[in-house]
Amino acid sequence: MNEVITKLNEIFGTDAKILRDRQITVEVDKNRVSSMLLYLKNQMGFIHLNHISCVDWIEEGQFELVYIVWRPEDKTTVLVKTRIDRENPEMENIDTIWDQAHTYEREIREMFGIEFPGLKAPREFILEGWEGPPPMRRDFDTRKYAMETYETRPGREDAQNVREYITKRTGEKVPDFAKKYSRD
Amino acid sequence: MINIKRNKETTLFIGPQHPGITGNMMVKLKVIGDTVVSAETHIGYLHRAFEKLIEQRNWLQSFTLLCRFCVPEPDPMELTYARAVEAIEGREVPPRAQYIRTIVAELARIQSFLLWYGGQAGSAGLYTLGQWTVGDRNYVLDLFEDLTGARIYHMYIWPGGVRRDLPKGWKDKALRVMDYLEKRLTDYNHLLFDNAVFQKRAQGVGIIPKDKAVEWGVTGPPLKGVGIAHDVRKDEPYAAYGELDFDIPTYEGGDVWARALVRRDEIKQSIRIVRQALEKMPGGSYYNRIPNPMKWRVPKGEAWVKTESVRGEIGFYVVSDGSEKPRRVHLRGAAYTNGITVLEKILPGENIADVSFILNSLGACPPEMER
Repeated sequence: MNEVITKLNEIFGTDAKILRDRQITVEVDKNRVSSMLLYLKNQMGFIHLNHISCVDWIEEGQFELVYIVWRPEDKTTVLVKTRIDRENPEMENIDTIWDQAHTYEREIREMFGIEFPGLKAPREFILEGWEGPPPMRRDFDTRKYAMETYETRPGREDAQNVREYITKRTGEKVPDFAKKYSRD
Repeated sequence: MINIKRNKETTLFIGPQHPGITGNMMVKLKVIGDTVVSAETHIGYLHRAFEKLIEQRNWLQSFTLLCRFCVPEPDPMELTYARAVEAIEGREVPPRAQYIRTIVAELARIQSFLLWYGGQAGSAGLYTLGQWTVGDRNYVLDLFEDLTGARIYHMYIWPGGVRRDLPKGWKDKALRVMDYLEKRLTDYNHLLFDNAVFQKRAQGVGIIPKDKAVEWGVTGPPLKGVGIAHDVRKDEPYAAYGELDFDIPTYEGGDVWARALVRRDEIKQSIRIVRQALEKMPGGSYYNRIPNPMKWRVPKGEAWVKTESVRGEIGFYVVSDGSEKPRRVHLRGAAYTNGITVLEKILPGENIADVSFILNSLGACPPEMER
């Protein structure tokens, strides 16, 4: 495992370190992600792509993309992480390295609005006929969107606040635990 | 062979309702005669935005959603997420809880395999076996009901351990059920694997090439069906798997038949693990108590944790920003690769009648793909 850390730091000038157990985490510039993944796959034997994930760091104006690869020989995992700008986000498409990467990329494109130029797979994946903003972004307010987009079923207008509704119907007072224990 | 000049290509939709698999997904096929030329998977019928909703709930409330990620096998989701939270927090889990977790995970595997038997046999037109196995699955669900209070969605495994201890007399009951199931396996064997219809339908159908399997991201029974013995329980042991003795069944061939044989043998191994875990069960506490869940803050950090489910390797990438709610919980489902990209690659050249059959043998699980 240490040889992976040494090699990566030597070639890519990164600061790879052990996350825990047999896991290595390394942060790299977005332009060098595909070359690092290619190197890991072809030279170091990390042939299994576990996962591609995305985290929205809205406070810092960035998206973080995480590529997780695994080596069967010694069961080592490497988490390759990169940060991209939140404005007009674009990332290199890696489905030429692992073909199944396109499912993860399609999901990220749909949920976070990150473009992967050259991705051949159809645009629509999980969300069918969706016209709203990318829903997994932190600034997407599910409740507000639902209130604005969908209508209340006729005859159910008074049942919007469940606590009020129960109190009105049964006379029983329902405590609001979330409010009681909230720090705000 | 396909004669493209003589025959016209037709588009055919299989699904969204399927015989055999849990949930809805559609496969758009281009066919000539009854041979598939190309396949395209379409999901989007079951999206419930669980990952988004989890970001709006606290660490413990997430469990009510997590277990619903995959309908036939909810427990590995709870186990993986709990382990991820423990990894970020550095929380110790008592040995007794580790053993109980192992038993729960294996019982979940058994009941899910029994459900699979029904689906696989049903998609070949053999409906009797499904009635038997789903009936027998109820004995396992009874065990779950006694242990956790629920039959399908348990919310039993928590960060720090499990929710409650084994009830009185549960061990004997569990052993009785294991003995019964072991006897029944012979009957299933006669009904499915000795059946000429199933043999003809399954052998040489839906072949995954061995040299491509790992690179394609295949995991679980489909990978063991090509002869590669990767299993998270052996590779990176969690819970009590490191202390228990079990084998990883593998078969050569990579077809539906090999995958079915792997699953048959996996049930035997699961029964073996449950027996051992019950026998070796250590005493002591079953729960390393967490603070008030409403105010519980998990320190800043991230974790990538894997578990072996019946469909293959599942993993959670969990990120905490130090608040009461998770920043990001992202599932890597085994069905995501097995059921979408691998399916699209192996379908061309197969018969239309075998599509749902192959889909089932790959362990496609739409609720897990879409979350």
